Amino acid sequence: MSVLAELKERHTAATETLNGLKDKLKQKRLLLLDTDVAGYARSQGKTPVTFGPTDLVCCRTLQGHTGKVYSLDWTPEKNRIVSASQDGRLIVWNALTSQKTHAIKLPCAWVMTCAFSPGGQSVACGGLDSVCSIFNLNSPNNKDGNLPVSRMLTGHKGYVSSCQYVPDEETHLITASGDQTCVLWDITTGLRTSVFGGEFQSGHTGDVLSVSINGSNSRMFVSSSCDTTVRLWDTRVASRAVRTFHGHEGDVNTVRFFPDGNRFGTGSDDGTCRLFDIRTGHQLQEYSRPYGENGVPHVTSIAFSISGRLLFAGYTNGDCYVWDTLLAKVVLNLGSLQNSHDGRISCLGLSGDGSALCTGSWDTSLKIWAFGGHRTTVT
Amino acid sequence: MTGLKGNGSPPSLPLPRPKSPPEYADLYRKRREMAKVQMLEREIGFLEEELKSIAGLQPASRPCKELAEFVTCNADPLIPVRTKKIRRSCCLWKWLCGASCFNVSSICCCCCQSHLERTRSHDCTTCSCSNPCKGCPTPKCNHCFCCSSRCSNKPTCSWTCCIPKCPSCLTCPSTRCVCNVKCLEGNMCSCCTKSCCNSCLFCY
Repeated sequence: MSVLAELKERHTAATETLNGLKDKLKQKRLLLLDTDVAGYARSQGKTPVTFGPTDLVCCRTLQGHTGKVYSLDWTPEKNRIVSASQDGRLIVWNALTSQKTHAIKLPCAWVMTCAFSPGGQSVACGGLDSVCSIFNLNSPNNKDGNLPVSRMLTGHKGYVSSCQYVPDEETHLITASGDQTCVLWDITTGLRTSVFGGEFQSGHTGDVLSVSINGSNSRMFVSSSCDTTVRLWDTRVASRAVRTFHGHEGDVNTVRFFPDGNRFGTGSDDGTCRLFDIRTGHQLQEYSRPYGENGVPHVTSIAFSISGRLLFAGYTNGDCYVWDTLLAKVVLNLGSLQNSHDGRISCLGLSGDGSALCTGSWDTSLKIWAFGGHRTTVT
Repeated sequence: MTGLKGNGSPPSLPLPRPKSPPEYADLYRKRREMAKVQMLEREIGFLEEELKSIAGLQPASRPCKELAEFVTCNADPLIPVRTKKIRRSCCLWKWLCGASCFNVSSICCCCCQSHLERTRSHDCTTCSCSNPCKGCPTPKCNHCFCCSSRCSNKPTCSWTCCIPKCPSCLTCPSTRCVCNVKCLEGNMCSCCTKSCCNSCLFCY
């Protein structure tokens, strides 16, 4: 038998063994799922969060982009937002006043992601050019009147789908890419500090679509992929993921850490959001609704409220469900409220103090949602 | 003429038989296949490790309990609070806060909800907290510290406390006014008489 034929046989056998082990693992995990979050919360007598008609209102509409909004990010402390759009620009907004402080024309219009640095002095973006570009907001404009790129992080062999600065570090960020890898960058040198996954390391086997860094332990981050899995990484160990999380049945478009740093949420093309525990690997809850004839809308983006009680999820059909994470019930649909978006919700994020949610849409606008009701007390 | 047959047609030539291009050795195919197999075998090793470690794992109820405790112990500015009974605090710091500042209304604004529920005489007008006061019926303006009904500040206030006003006219009566930027193009805001624009990309 030729060497090549032998290798193909080994490949087939190994694939069979791998699938068998995955099934065995799934069965063993099922035995440990004695409850989910909703089951536990019901047993404790929890009642769902209820919203009155004016409790969560759209209090700002940020208009200025002339193309679909693909990504947004808040500054950690002050109320500024950076947004990225198909019109080839980043806009930096003062979210309280709705004013635009910067409108940055990008070298490549096909932007997919943007992020604010922890200090709010720089923004990063990436897209189909496979490059992550950094802009210093305090730099003077160049002779064309544009803010110049202060650093280009090159090295990915596929599009940059997601990026996030390491919390409290102006000089490091993590990108996720269509080349199936995540990369930790040193912005000062422009070099890759670590590559997670890829051709010769264990990692995702499909495009990586989203990344989220643990706010409680910035050495840990999770990445989600078209291979339907989410992987937990330790930035000190790039050779393999700490854990791989299975469960979704479609591309996992978005992943976010839960506020306590020990869990994370996901959103997928299979129409569900899920909550996983990083220490045990258990899937703690699924958030899904039955759908009719129009098919299952995909989840594009998620965010948790500051307490973790609310899970905001944007969908391709324009819905923006507010899930009670404890009871796994939809308590509000921002897509059905007055002044809601006219198109797909593509991105969303919570302000640093948790008092406002920003949603971005293919209708070219961003909207800020905040509590507009009264907090009544005992009488 | 030589070469012609009796009927005048030229002798038939053999049909062309183009040769296939020479096969170049795919020097990397074997290496790629080997890498794929090694990757799979590595993944098998990881799964076998995970199967062994699963025996010592806690059931899902434990992390569910931790999550529920975390959620109920943390306040959330986006969640309406409508409760008829005093919640028992599940966190020690809330109990301590309530015990220590029961009669001090100025401190209570930043403290636990359960304490606020006990201090029924909490006076909004004397509260000087810069954060939205949880005991007050309406959120306070971060900038002017007044309740929303009296706030007439310019748009530096918190989200729903003060309606942002057009910097150009400052007296825009419409509560729906979202004018914010002076537009060089001179577009008119529908709710204001002064020129302002909220959709021009090039405005500052």
